[in-house]
This record gives sequence, C-alpha cells and structure tokens, in this order.
Amino acid sequence: MNINKVLVIGAGTMGSGIAWWFSSLGIQVHLQDESQEQLEKAKKYCEEQTYRWATKNKLDQRITQDLLQLVKFIKKSEWDHDYDLVIEAIIENLEIKKNLFKELDEVMDKKTVIASNTSSFPIALLSQDLSPERKVNFLGLHFFNPAPVMKLVEVISSKDSSQKLANDLYAWFEEKGKFPAHCKDSPGFIVNRVARNFYGEPLRIAAEDDEKKFKEIDQVLKEVGGFRMGPFELMDLIGIDVNYSVTCSVWNAYNQEPRFAPHPLQEKLVNEKRLGRKSKRGFYQYE
Amino acid sequence: MNNIYLDDVIINFGFGTKEEKKNFLREHASKSIYMDLTCYDPKEFYEEFPQLKGIFSALFADEAKRIEIHFREENPLVLNHLKELGYHPIQVSFTSCGFIFPRTISQIINEAYFALEDGIATKEDINRAMKFGVNYPKGPFEWSEGKELYIKTLLEELHTLTKDNRYIPNKALL
Repeated sequence: MNINKVLVIGAGTMGSGIAWWFSSLGIQVHLQDESQEQLEKAKKYCEEQTYRWATKNKLDQRITQDLLQLVKFIKKSEWDHDYDLVIEAIIENLEIKKNLFKELDEVMDKKTVIASNTSSFPIALLSQDLSPERKVNFLGLHFFNPAPVMKLVEVISSKDSSQKLANDLYAWFEEKGKFPAHCKDSPGFIVNRVARNFYGEPLRIAAEDDEKKFKEIDQVLKEVGGFRMGPFELMDLIGIDVNYSVTCSVWNAYNQEPRFAPHPLQEKLVNEKRLGRKSKRGFYQYE
Repeated sequence: MNNIYLDDVIINFGFGTKEEKKNFLREHASKSIYMDLTCYDPKEFYEEFPQLKGIFSALFADEAKRIEIHFREENPLVLNHLKELGYHPIQVSFTSCGFIFPRTISQIINEAYFALEDGIATKEDINRAMKFGVNYPKGPFEWSEGKELYIKTLLEELHTLTKDNRYIPNKALL
C-alpha cells in the first residue's frame, strides 16, 4: 500500500497530532480547519513537535529539514482531489460529520480512502449515505492522544468496508511503527469499551464522595496494578463530564447493559460543576 | 490452601471455596488467623470469625508480588513473614469484596471476554489495544492467564452480594 499524500480534517489536538505523525514519516500532509486561529495553533504545535523530536534524535535527519514544508495548513477551499488518505478528526457531531463525508465523497478521487477518527459513532452510520464505491473505501482509524506517541491505531471495518483495505492499512501502520488492532464496528470499539471498568469499578469500590478513599484506590492501582495513573486522577485529567458522557454513550449504545452503567457519583460531580482539573475541583481539589 | 504456623498465628494462603475457608477458621478458633480472602466478602468473614485478624490478596499477585493487606489487628510478624516470602504488602485502610486491584482487574478482564465473545477483535488485538492505547502494563488476557477460577469466583461473590448483573461472569470464565 502506498500513502504519499494525506488530508487531515480538523486541526484540534487529535488532528494536529495525526498530521504531524504522518509528516514525520516524510509524507505530504494537508491539515485543514476553517478556523485560522486553530491553524496557527496547529502550526506552532507542529514546530514544537519537530524541535522536540529532532533534539531527541528521533527523526530522520533528511525528513527533519523538510518536515515543516511537508505540512500545509489549509482551508477547505484549498482541498486537492488526489489524496491517498483522508482522515476526519472534527467535533463528535453526527450530522456535521455525515455532511462532511458526503462532500468528500463527491469531490475526492474514487481511489481516495476516507477514514474517521471518531471514538463514538458507528462507522457504518457515518458512511450510510455515501456512494457504494466509497463505502468500500471507508473505515475507522482511531488514534490515541497524543497521536505521535501512542502506538495504537484501531482499524475499524464496517460491514461495507473492504477487508483487504483494512488488512493493507494494518500492515502499513505496523511497518511504520504503530501497533494497529483490527476491530469490528461496535460501540466504544476495543479500548473505550474494555476500559470503562477501570473507572466504573473503582467508583463502586469508593461508593461515596471521599477524597481519602479516591487517593488510596489510585495509589493501590498504581502500586499493585502497575497502572501509570489511578482512575480518579485520570478522570480529573480527562474531564469528569467528558468521561461521564463517554460512559453514557457506551451504556446507551449497549441498551443500558449493567456492565457499562454510570455511577451516581459521576452525575453528582457533573451537576456540581466539579469537572476535574479544568474546574480546579473534581475528585480532588486543585490549587 | 497452605498454611504457615507462627505460634498462635496462622497465615492461610491459597484458593479455597467459601466453605473450605470458613471450615478452616472454625477448626482454628483459638488462633489468630491472617487469610488470603481475595474472592470473598470480608465483612461477612470478619463478622462471623473474631479470630480472623487480617486479610490479604495474594491470589492475584504477579511476578512483582505486590498485594493488598487489611488488618483488623496489626501484626508486624505477619508483615515480616510475607516480606520474607517475597511479597510487597500494601496496607489498605478499608475493606471491599475483592480488594481494589483484584476487583477492578476482574471486571476489565470480564469485559475483554465479552468483547471477544461478541467478535469485536481477537485476544491478541484486545491485549495490544489496551497496552498501547491506554498504557496498561499487561493485556487483559495476559493478566487472566491461570487466574480464571479466581476471577469467576470473585465475580460470582460480587453478584451474590450486590444483586447487580454487571458482575455476571462471561461463560468463557466458567
């Protein structure tokens, strides 16, 4: 499989990280966003990443020199039509995403592979209004934050996706140093489904709003379990509202299966605007 | 089960059914017992057996041998003995059925089995996803290897205790 030219749509944290990672392989990347401010931020991010990785000698010397020329920060009006791969990394809004994919279907070459970095929507739902030829060339590529560092890419095939395409992309990512995982189109895919209990079970062990217990549980899971962060400090970092929303989304997608049920403490903290580090108060208090 | 006898103190290790654990305590009513109680409700045992002075979770210990221990009556002799056996006991201040790590990891593993049953991904891809997507030190199926009976027993105990269907073990663990 050859990937020589990539369009990443959405210059937020994920989009910028994905774009920079592709460029670090020497691949030409267009990073598109309609917000000039977002594009400026993305440019700064890419410059910082290049400097950071180059100083650690983690980049090919030849690529380092050209790297900043490899990423072009563009508006939609500057789209080309001959990308090998387009990755969507915009806001998690079904209608906005579906409209974008319809537009891409119309303007991109038929050979262009279109992928979504969604963490919550079924891939088949995102592609349902596309042409039959495009549906075959459409799949999920779920990166993890920060994209240049985290090795996993979930390669998600819908019922319409070409299995050969999924296999080729799996092999391509593996060759480029990522650790891909094949995944069927299902709510939460692998990680957001299996990891739910890393939060749900400690919440049930704590059972009440007790910072001493949160601290003890975090400490035990780090020391005994070997996890890098405890669940309460991690929920505070992610945002309790964000984590609660993902929990509810997976729970509802699985017809309110009890294994995914949110804990009342999550809703309580969200209602009290205790959202974690960003509001200086979550499970823990921050100065 | 196997035991270490230290004068009036017995340290009880290993897996046993709930009745086997209770019978052991009944047979040693005059001793101070410190018991591996990873899979059962500590509250029930503490209430029924005053001779039970502390509990720990060695069944889920991996090569690092870090375990949780809860004392109703602290005993440095027991702590030292566990350390001599290579364990790294971490004292917890409150009890919970399945302690903290065994209970949390059992639920993660159970979900991994459900995902496998649903055909979401292979065992290898699920292990890989959890290690490289969220930095887990091991994949769920690597963690569960050889511990399936303990996981199933603990989840059944939690199900009985809470009546919450979230604890129904996947049939592959049975």
